[in-house]
Amino acid sequence: MDICTTYRHKLRDEQVNSAPHLRSTTLIATLEISPPLAAILALSELCATSDAGTMFELVKALNEGANSLRRNSSNPISLNAGCELFIAFVTLFPHDSVPSAVRADPHCEFEAIIEFAEKIIPHRQALTYRTKIAELSVDFIKDDSVILTHSYSRVVMESLLLAHRRSKRISVFVTEARPRGLGLKTAEALTAAGIPCTVILDSAVAYAMEKVDFVLVGSEAVVESGGLINAIGSLNIAIIAKAANKPFYALAESYKFHRLFPLSQYDLPSHNPGILSFPSPVETDRAAEKASSSASSESRSAPGAPLSSSITQEQIAQNNPDVDYTRPDLISLVFSDVGSLTPSGVSQYLVGMFH
Amino acid sequence: MAAHSQTNGPPATPTPSHPTQKSMTKAERRELQEKQRAAKLAQKQQPQNADSPNKQKAKPKSDAAPRRSTGAAEKQSSAADGSKSHSKDTPGTAMDNDAGTSISRSLRIFSHFVLTKHGHGVKGDIHPCIIRLALQFSEFRICGANARCIATLIAFKTVIQDYTTPPNNTLSRHLMTHLSPQISHLVSARPMSVTMGNAIRQLKLEISGSDIDMPEQDAKDLLCQKIDDYIRDRIIIADEVIQDLACKKIKDGDVILTYARSSIVEKVLLSAYKQGKRFSVIVVDSRPLLEGKALLQALTSTPPVSWTLSSASLLPPPPPIPCTYALLPALPSLITEATTVILGAHSLHSNGAVFSRAGTALVAMMAKQHSVPVLVCCETYKFSETVMLDGFGKNELAPSHLFPAPAQAPNLETLNPLYDLTPPSSITAVVTEVGLIPPSSISSIPMALGRMNL
Repeated sequence: MDICTTYRHKLRDEQVNSAPHLRSTTLIATLEISPPLAAILALSELCATSDAGTMFELVKALNEGANSLRRNSSNPISLNAGCELFIAFVTLFPHDSVPSAVRADPHCEFEAIIEFAEKIIPHRQALTYRTKIAELSVDFIKDDSVILTHSYSRVVMESLLLAHRRSKRISVFVTEARPRGLGLKTAEALTAAGIPCTVILDSAVAYAMEKVDFVLVGSEAVVESGGLINAIGSLNIAIIAKAANKPFYALAESYKFHRLFPLSQYDLPSHNPGILSFPSPVETDRAAEKASSSASSESRSAPGAPLSSSITQEQIAQNNPDVDYTRPDLISLVFSDVGSLTPSGVSQYLVGMFH
Repeated sequence: MAAHSQTNGPPATPTPSHPTQKSMTKAERRELQEKQRAAKLAQKQQPQNADSPNKQKAKPKSDAAPRRSTGAAEKQSSAADGSKSHSKDTPGTAMDNDAGTSISRSLRIFSHFVLTKHGHGVKGDIHPCIIRLALQFSEFRICGANARCIATLIAFKTVIQDYTTPPNNTLSRHLMTHLSPQISHLVSARPMSVTMGNAIRQLKLEISGSDIDMPEQDAKDLLCQKIDDYIRDRIIIADEVIQDLACKKIKDGDVILTYARSSIVEKVLLSAYKQGKRFSVIVVDSRPLLEGKALLQALTSTPPVSWTLSSASLLPPPPPIPCTYALLPALPSLITEATTVILGAHSLHSNGAVFSRAGTALVAMMAKQHSVPVLVCCETYKFSETVMLDGFGKNELAPSHLFPAPAQAPNLETLNPLYDLTPPSSITAVVTEVGLIPPSSISSIPMALGRMNL
């Protein structure tokens, strides 16, 4: 079986099968299943259809499946978290809880594992995770709060909408989040729900920080150090919030907790040497020629018009990172379905979970 | 005892040439005491050339007390403790190790650290293995937390095998009392390391849990097996796991800075090299032990002898690791070059502080200032449940007969504390066999291992 097609299938499937009884506003937030859950689903199907005879073979097959998923995905971090969680779960599965009659037949045992997994990791209940987190965070949202958020995050949407439904008056600043511009999506969704929302430039975060009560961001992954991996720009906001003494809260479902430990920004798995590299001298000369020729032509036509540069937005986006790593000392609290944790509490939870 | 001697010292009767004690000022009284003590000392010195520890301990106490007004209380407490030579952390009075001079002086600071002179005789029934080990410890031939622990456990295996339970006694109860003087003998050579302490505690647990009905040889074999398992699981295999984890953090082109010589850091660097990674190393070293030289030797003697050119691959062995060697004062100039700092540890405390060779704290703090990530490689058996806030409470001074100061003077005392404490804020991550852990979560390690105590 091709695990990648199954994975994409799951991603799409859940979009179609989401519960119809939900109101339209919440439907927007829960429409897409997150990548780690889709990965877990795909891996558990792999488990069901595998012909492995022993646990060792099964774990090996799962590892191979996880690797092929990683290779075919553009942003493997959160996917990784889901894969590792499932594989760790399978490895640490207490075989004593499986009745001995079942244990004799490996296939039955695998089914037992999957059944157990479906109870412990309710992949069809992504909604409950987000709801739990929203419930936790809503207590921190006081009436008349001004909240700053970054880019688009389903969990943050859920929390803000819940607070709004609980009749709290909130107003939201959302960063544009270049280059993907997902902040606009957040702004549209919030405005449609009736929450006053303004899009601010990424560069205007420091300017606006004094007006903000606290910062609320989602996450791609929460790492072992207690730090956060999120869309590029989160570190900027965290540093500014720390300097301005504003609390910085991160929302993360527990399946996004990852055993990664980045020592620096460049220690992330998504890092490649191409990011933020300087172009070779030949290219810059050519670019300079182009720029000067276009400048001369431009200056003749419209003296006040800006230089049309030969650097496109796509080029910029390619050369720049997608995610960054926020250090744990900049984060006040991490809200998760297992409770509200301090950054050091995250690693204690991870250590307890993976052993 | 000091208090007692003080009252015995000065005679109460004043001579006609001297005013009464009450009319003298405090300083004058002290001078008088000193003179009388010096006279007594001169008398005592002549008949006694062979020093016994108790007498030697008494002398500096009586000399030092009048000289240091603030130290009186400390002296009394250290005197009381000094008489108990069997306690594990015996703070004794510090002595000048100059055998020739009769003037013994006390240290103004660190006097609560042990600075014993070895060779004060063997008390009781000490196994020759242990005697040899104690000599090796005191001569610093076996140095390093892991090495000392492994050597101690191997020596104990011999002791256990040679032990016979006396009649009307059980192994599980009597073996412990048999081992206690052996342990104290080792402690008198050099203070117990945390690793030795944890290992011995585990051994005692195993002994007390041994089955009474088991025949003696079987019980002894089982204990030796347990000791082997402990060494294998908590040290050897833990080291392999740590090597794997730490190697993942080493990339091509890295400049790794390390300090002194840690057995685990050496293993990490060599295994990363064997995996084919190209990196360079800066070894920072300091006096008096200059352990970095040995690490430099190990790193630059690549390709290691074990490399063989098989006929299948006639590729030449990879180039050796480029190394830089510098002393600690050169650190600020070099730290900007480093991409990662990897350090070893003597022990890890539950507040996340790392107790390691003196100088480690400097390296870690400087690295933090320059935003260089600091990795401390440490096995979980080095974990101590205590909380340590500074390097003063519990430390060890290097004996000056082994590491003499460059200049000798009668009023010069050299202090060589061997350890210092690195605060958790300077450390980025601790690499243990349970994974990379931020220092603030060290206290969750026992939970990770599924045990309540280590």
